[in-house]
Amino acid sequence: MSWGRFDTRTIVLIPIAIAINIVLGQTVFAALKVPIYLDSVGTILVGVLAGPIPGLVTGLLANLIWTYVLPAPFHNDYAAAFAIVAAEIGFVSGVLAQVGWFRGRPNTEPTRLVVGAVVVAAVLLAIGYYGFLPFYTDGTFSFFNPDVTADPFFTIVGYVIAIGIVAAIVGLVALLFVRRDLGVAYVAIGGLGCGILSALISAPISAVAFGGVTGSGTDLLVAAFQQAGSDLQTAVIQQGLLSDPIDKTIEFFIAFVILQTLSRRFVARFPQGEKAIGLEGA
Amino acid sequence: MPAPVGVILADDLDPADARDIARLVPDTPSPYHGLNPLTKAVIATVGSIGAFAAGGYIGPIGLNLVMLLLAFRAGVLGQLVRISLLLTTPIAVSVVLVSVFTRAGRTVLFEIGPFDATVEGVDFAAQTLVRLFAISLSIGLFVMTTHPRAFVIDLERRGVSPRVAFVAVATIEAVPALVERAGIIGESQRARGLDTEGSLRARLRGLLPLIGPVIIGTLTDVEERSLALESRAFSRPGRRHLLWAMPDAPWERVLRWVLLAGLAATAIARVSGRI
Repeated sequence: MSWGRFDTRTIVLIPIAIAINIVLGQTVFAALKVPIYLDSVGTILVGVLAGPIPGLVTGLLANLIWTYVLPAPFHNDYAAAFAIVAAEIGFVSGVLAQVGWFRGRPNTEPTRLVVGAVVVAAVLLAIGYYGFLPFYTDGTFSFFNPDVTADPFFTIVGYVIAIGIVAAIVGLVALLFVRRDLGVAYVAIGGLGCGILSALISAPISAVAFGGVTGSGTDLLVAAFQQAGSDLQTAVIQQGLLSDPIDKTIEFFIAFVILQTLSRRFVARFPQGEKAIGLEGA
Repeated sequence: MPAPVGVILADDLDPADARDIARLVPDTPSPYHGLNPLTKAVIATVGSIGAFAAGGYIGPIGLNLVMLLLAFRAGVLGQLVRISLLLTTPIAVSVVLVSVFTRAGRTVLFEIGPFDATVEGVDFAAQTLVRLFAISLSIGLFVMTTHPRAFVIDLERRGVSPRVAFVAVATIEAVPALVERAGIIGESQRARGLDTEGSLRARLRGLLPLIGPVIIGTLTDVEERSLALESRAFSRPGRRHLLWAMPDAPWERVLRWVLLAGLAATAIARVSGRI
């Protein structure tokens, strides 16, 4: 296990990565009312290309700079509070890249693809079943808390969420088979895991400092869960467990596609580039 | 030639250079602007963390008033209030809607359809709001009265790695550069027939041909930039000789420690249940 290195190339990459984070994140935050963030693509890239510690430092610096250094219109008052979450994302993606989870595995045989698809679906269902439903159904398998008379509106939101989870499974499996690339399964599982961790770290910060509300699309989810009978802490964790795995999976996938697109020569010059895309033997 | 007010220039400069370097130094239109950047950063951090360490109403409202007073002294009161309202209003609306109507509580104030507004919800929303404004005003005041470069150079003078300083300063430039590049690529893709203004589906489909080249192109610049830095001795060990610095009076150092000690005391009192 190596922790990564800060060579000049990495140091130059970091500000660009932070800029990518901020521009994508601010766009999603300001323009789209969807419950995802998309503000870590750059951090993930640094983690993947340079190693866990550079990834961690990039995440930390990105959120601190976002609050303390950047002038308007890109300034964000609240990013610094979540710096530790960004650091975790960079670290995790660095570790995962080092063990080869960001490598493309094109032309995998169909049987192994099926295994990959089953594992992805199983992880998604496990998140839903163990991490998510018990928080507001007391362990019984019903989509809404039966003790609370929830408004039809939230039942509809509930169905939208259910459809979203199913769509996530279908989409990932489709990607797996259309690209015939088992790497997608690795990226998806890595993203889901990283998302769960991020949700657990960010939920207490969000609940204590901001009343669970950030002014973006995720607030609707917090409201829905509170109305369904959860207290604030639980509602925020539920929102996180829904948003973060989806968000991180999408971001991991974007980073994965970018890695495949960049020239191998370029990637291989970063401290962890060869390991990330599997060139050591070549 | 005399150094401009409120700035220390390196003592081994010849007069012509000193004049040039003095021009790099950001203006300090008020005494508050002239404080050491670290002092202002500590005030901002203590203000924002203090707001939720104190909790309730009195502490955060007090912090709001202090920040407004400081902003008035710095001559940025109107601007600060405007930007703070602008940035906080969307969050405030969410806080009010989410807490007032969906937070469980006993005392119902009024009902709109299926939603009960509870006293507990209103109380929680109000507490969150004063806290959010305290954070927004504290950080906003810092950003408005501190030149980012002055802050970064001051940190470097205090021993922060020059590489971290480079990252911070380079980010300030990288963000607008990225936006500009996105604009250029957007226009050239439109010239090739990309639909970026049609229906939502068309716009979503237009996203990839836009984001792809922006990110890939920016990443490819890393090559050139790192060569340029290497040829200018970027990875040379040792410290840089800084040509100017923001002054740091002894009382400012005392003030910083007093503020941090106050924050720690508040946090301890809160955790142990005394306030």
